Amino acid sequence: MLKLENLSKHFGGVRAVDDLSIEVNRGEVFGLIGPNGSGKSTIVNLICGVYTPTAGSIRLLGNEISGLTPNRRLVAGVARTFQNIRLFDDMPVWKNLWVAQNSTEDANKHNLLRRWFGGAGSDRDEIDALLEFSGLGGRGGELAGSLAFGEQRRLELARAVAAKPQLLLLDEPAAGMNFDEIKDLAKRIKGLREQDMSIILVEHIMELVMGVTDRIAVLNFGGKIAEGTPDEIQKSSVVQEAYLGKPQDVA
Amino acid sequence: MDDIVFYTVEIIQSIIDGVLFGSTYALIGIGFTLIFGAMHKLNMTYAAASLAGAYIGLAFFTLFDAPVMLVFLAAIVGSAGIGLIVYYICFRYIPVEDHLAALMASVGALFFIDEIVIHATNASPLTFPALFDDVMFELGPFGIRGDLLFVFAVSLISMAALWYVLYRTRLGLATRAVSQQGIAAQLCGIDIHRTNGTTFVVAGMLGGVAGSMIGASVGILSPLLTLPITIKGLIVTVIGGLGSIPGAIVAGFLVGALENVFLFVRGVNERDMYIMLLLFVFLVFRPHGIFSRRAERD
Repeated sequence: MLKLENLSKHFGGVRAVDDLSIEVNRGEVFGLIGPNGSGKSTIVNLICGVYTPTAGSIRLLGNEISGLTPNRRLVAGVARTFQNIRLFDDMPVWKNLWVAQNSTEDANKHNLLRRWFGGAGSDRDEIDALLEFSGLGGRGGELAGSLAFGEQRRLELARAVAAKPQLLLLDEPAAGMNFDEIKDLAKRIKGLREQDMSIILVEHIMELVMGVTDRIAVLNFGGKIAEGTPDEIQKSSVVQEAYLGKPQDVA
Repeated sequence: MDDIVFYTVEIIQSIIDGVLFGSTYALIGIGFTLIFGAMHKLNMTYAAASLAGAYIGLAFFTLFDAPVMLVFLAAIVGSAGIGLIVYYICFRYIPVEDHLAALMASVGALFFIDEIVIHATNASPLTFPALFDDVMFELGPFGIRGDLLFVFAVSLISMAALWYVLYRTRLGLATRAVSQQGIAAQLCGIDIHRTNGTTFVVAGMLGGVAGSMIGASVGILSPLLTLPITIKGLIVTVIGGLGSIPGAIVAGFLVGALENVFLFVRGVNERDMYIMLLLFVFLVFRPHGIFSRRAERD
């Protein structure tokens, strides 16, 4: 499904991601964890095309996508949510979904003139279903910017899903959420997996990561220090060291 | 008593003429504001490109004796083409966050376009064809010039067309998405460069309308028009609020009307000084434009 091979991203002398190889299978929820500055967000930005890699390859369904612009990557099947919410604040809720819906559907279908100046079609049933899924049913007419924080997060997830991606990147989707909201989010992530969507989850909140992922990679200093099922990761001493430091002899 | 009546009639007449001509200022203001809204950058060439487009239309008239409607059409296409070239030269390849570089590049392009026009016309004014310039509608004591009414109508139709493009087409959806959240728009599958380029073309078409309508109502085109139209356009943009299209429309009418009132009351030499004062009044009390809330003060 997604294959990162020897992927590197250097900012000057800083090796944000260094020679990293990861494979994510179809219909799998893959966790990326690691201390602050370990390169998690950089990986998300590399996969969705905000950054271009210094070296290495990114393959989605066997196709090399590392040379594509971000908008072409959406067409190729990558959608994402943002750590700091980026909605179209001055548009109604449903139009936020419409933007994503249109771009994929039409990118290859129509010629330039129809694509730009034709009326924008939308599948209202699908939008309503997505709003229902996000717990925003009946709120489609409100301005996105006027929603509460938690609702905006749900709308962002819905917008990413509206593009019908093969691979969904979630960049700290639970940041700032309370316990109930996190439980809610976990339910949604599991629902998306049942639709055969592959998901990469970058998250600090361990209850969420351990609860929904099939496999986890642990990063430190831009490299992978461990990979395995949630159970294996929880027991790994390498991981505990990365997070808590080496146990010292205090005697 | 008769003096007062005469005075009032003349003032109202000035306002009528001013509002009608002000529709062209509104178009220029919309063009500035449209590009600012999309890229958060000022395209200083805009008014010059609009007038250059009108010159392209005029060339068809002088060289091939083309019908007036074709002259307007050529102006629209010409101005759109110049807009696209300006986009590629001054905006496309300059880093998004480098606002000063784009500004300087577009100021350079402004002078460049101006020089080309001066060179091509030997800096002398040329007659521009008008429509309905021999028609005059009587409304009680007031007269409405047919050519100005035509200019006004064409401007309103262009604004309606722009509204349609912005709010009823995919391009409009993409433009608004890009202006609100560039990165998210890209990751929603929108090609940000193509969208911006198309925005320049659409703004350019509007500029072509504005340029030829200015030519049609003034009766001549001259390189001397570039500077005042650029300044009026920028004033309209600021008064309307950068990025606000309704603001630019209202501000265009306002500037047009007040300009004519000042012209009548204080004469042509002082007219533009008062318009500049109006700009400062807005910058101090309503820095975000006519439709924003009053400026909060510390």
